Amino acid sequence: MLARYVVRRVVASIPVVFGVTLITFALLHATAGAFVPGLELNPNLRPEDIVRIRNNLGLNDPLPLQYWHWIAGLAHGDFGRSLVDGSPVLSHIGDRLPNTIELTLTAILLGILVSIPLGVVGALRRGSVIDNFFTFLSVAGVSIPSFWLALLLILLFSVSFHAWGLPWLPSGGAQSAFSGGDPIDRITHLILPASCLAFVYIAIWSRFTRSSMLEVLSQDYVRTARAKGMSERRVTYLHALRNSLVPLVTLIGLELPGLVSGGAIIEIVFSWPGVGRLALERALQYDYTMVLGLTTFVALLVVVGNLLADVMYALLDPRIRYA
Amino acid sequence: MSRDQAPGGEGYKQFEEFLKHWSRRDFVKRISIGAAYTAFLAGGVEFMEACANAGSGNGPTVAAKKGGHLTEGTISDIKTMNPVLTSDTASSEVIGLLYDSLLNTTANGDLRPLLAKELPKTSSDGLTYTITLRDNIKWTDGSPITADDVKFTYDLMFDPQYKAVNSPRRSDLETYVQSITVKDAKTIVFQLKKVYAPFAVAQLQYGILPKKVWGSLSPTDVNTTDMNTAPTVTSGIFKFQKWDKGQQVTLTRNDGYWQGAPYLDTFIYKVVADQIAIGNQLKTGEIDMGQPDPSQLADLQGNPDLQIVTFPVAIFTFYAYNQNPSAKVSQMFSDKAVRQALLYAIDRQGMADSLYFKQAVVATSSMPPVSWAYNKDSKPQYPHDPAKANSMLDSAGWAKGSDGIRAKGGQKLSFTMITNAGNKVRENSLVAMQDAWKQIGVDATPKLITFPQLVAQITNDRSYDVFLVGFSWNADPDQSALWHSRNTAPGGFNGFGYKSSAMDKILDDAVATLDQSKRKQLYFQMQDILNDEAPAPILVFNKGIWAMTKRVQGVTGGDFGLGTYTQFQNKAWMKSTFVADGK
Repeated sequence: MLARYVVRRVVASIPVVFGVTLITFALLHATAGAFVPGLELNPNLRPEDIVRIRNNLGLNDPLPLQYWHWIAGLAHGDFGRSLVDGSPVLSHIGDRLPNTIELTLTAILLGILVSIPLGVVGALRRGSVIDNFFTFLSVAGVSIPSFWLALLLILLFSVSFHAWGLPWLPSGGAQSAFSGGDPIDRITHLILPASCLAFVYIAIWSRFTRSSMLEVLSQDYVRTARAKGMSERRVTYLHALRNSLVPLVTLIGLELPGLVSGGAIIEIVFSWPGVGRLALERALQYDYTMVLGLTTFVALLVVVGNLLADVMYALLDPRIRYA
Repeated sequence: MSRDQAPGGEGYKQFEEFLKHWSRRDFVKRISIGAAYTAFLAGGVEFMEACANAGSGNGPTVAAKKGGHLTEGTISDIKTMNPVLTSDTASSEVIGLLYDSLLNTTANGDLRPLLAKELPKTSSDGLTYTITLRDNIKWTDGSPITADDVKFTYDLMFDPQYKAVNSPRRSDLETYVQSITVKDAKTIVFQLKKVYAPFAVAQLQYGILPKKVWGSLSPTDVNTTDMNTAPTVTSGIFKFQKWDKGQQVTLTRNDGYWQGAPYLDTFIYKVVADQIAIGNQLKTGEIDMGQPDPSQLADLQGNPDLQIVTFPVAIFTFYAYNQNPSAKVSQMFSDKAVRQALLYAIDRQGMADSLYFKQAVVATSSMPPVSWAYNKDSKPQYPHDPAKANSMLDSAGWAKGSDGIRAKGGQKLSFTMITNAGNKVRENSLVAMQDAWKQIGVDATPKLITFPQLVAQITNDRSYDVFLVGFSWNADPDQSALWHSRNTAPGGFNGFGYKSSAMDKILDDAVATLDQSKRKQLYFQMQDILNDEAPAPILVFNKGIWAMTKRVQGVTGGDFGLGTYTQFQNKAWMKSTFVADGK
């Protein structure tokens, strides 16, 4: 039964991925000029060379033919080669993806670790000074543009701390130029961008935990637990918290596709060598194949992620049956 | 200081090294050892002075030290390490450290032999360039660099069998070169189709590839080989170690380098977010050198850990009036009074001061002031003079209407100006021009488009009214790309449609002779005509701005110090550069 459902879902998702590639392809070609992607404007460049290189790259072929070549390659698992540097798109993704996952996963973990206690305390001390303070932080977290926060953090913890002779944090990159991948060095580079990204998660998730916790605390079974003479601590942490986290899990699950694309702006400000920055840089250079490849890759991830989630529901909850 | 000379500090060993270089230059045959030693000391003194300059006169001069690393910050990652394919500055910078070329230039643009033993010998008709290679040049695997390698490299860009190689240099070479012949292992002859004065500057500075590792590749493989991202056999002052894409390129000392190994163990080319981040990372010492944004200069100059170097460059910003007959604005822009009046109305000094933070100079002609062909007295000049602009437009019959906008024969002096979105200085330049022109009754509206769209407008579509963009001239004064009528053809960069048979003749004559004084005279004429016609006025020439941490020494001074033509692909100063703390 489940197997048939999975097959059907996979078949149904093919048009989705197909549609994503077609729209991306059309948009890229609608906005690009008659230039060679990545070539710098240079008075010594001759029109004949531009025409010849575009021919070599197949950019002068009719658009349907170009799309056909690309999609035929994709059917064989070939994401094509970058028009800017000639190297395979998949090798670029392979280089960048671990960095992005490292950053976003850290931010999500940090977000969970901080937001749940904040939400619980806010709910238990509803209306108190500390609750109001957390509310203020949440509003700030949602409203402050993350690139601006990132720049402020760099100015304070990196540039100013360095100038004041305090221990300072690196302002950009995933590692020191000269460290050779020392793990401690990588962690210090991770702190600022991950905190910046986590700040938004904390702002949203702590509010969510708080309201969910308040709702659960007013449920009958909590009253029953209290009536049984259970300690307030046990009521809060054993009964209320566990149940209030269920909606949060869904919310965090929704961030999973963001593992790949989530921190694009943070990646750019901190020159973090991730997928998001790669996509933006290459979009600005009209590296069609790279942008197409990245979009398709993310689309596939989302489709697979959703499918997995649905299957997990079916396995975990016997009430859910797929036909 | 020439890069052939070693600085003082390490005694006799360096003197021996020095002698080797001198003998290479056949000087030792002419002068005694004693004279050579005097020259060596003199070179040392010169070097000391260079160091003192580099350190802004602060602190005692440090003797050159071996070891350590230097990190340069860049805002764009490299794209390739293949000298045949590259067109971008970042890639060229790294390629220049990995592959030596036949020639390079001094800081002010004079040609110097590099792999070549001396500057090319040209035949009396100017058509044959004979180049003899040095004897001691070798690849990192120890084998000698030969004329075959040179021919092979140029074949990749020139020979019909390699048309599938995506080199942006093919048409230029095909236009000027008849044949490339290997005479013997160390001699190669370029036979030209016609005399072309910029040939050596434009075409003999590409990195040379080793034939034995590249020769077996098919033409399409040359575009995609792993050696483009991880070179194996190279010839430059550094060797390739690692490219962490999006992060950094790491190069290490080439001990077998023909000029002797550099002082530095490691050179790192590190990608940072933007120019503001370059300033930040210089302050924290995460990078050692880089080009900060002009707006940060005052702040960085006050930082005791940093030293700043600025110099004029041939990078410029210009705007152009669309004079193509097909454009509807061509009628008003074909009126010279309009073109001149609009230029008089712009406060270019004000732009240089506020938009470029004084790190730009108002252009007095199309030639960069650093060029040997620059005419500082070219006429007419266009100081900021709105009154003159007004009176010129009045007398040309452009009268102000009830809305304050000038018009003539029913056509309003109203148009849009395009540039690429994202370049703040260009965006702000358009706003400044809009304001300035409003003062004289001209309605100009800025419009921002993407960079590829801008390029398409300039080179193909040409339906714009006015565009604004930046370019850079190379060390040769030929400016045909912008002013020759043949480049009004689709794809050419004379996208504003300036056509003048007198100008064409000057440009053609100036590249058809190797006589520099004759060329200079022609380029003086060119500058006068362009100043008078103002088809596409150059607003300003930029300045090169480099900031370095104080531990970086030996970068500036002398023929091959950091300067106008030694800041990017030709970093000849890497030979004398060291870090004071040796780390």
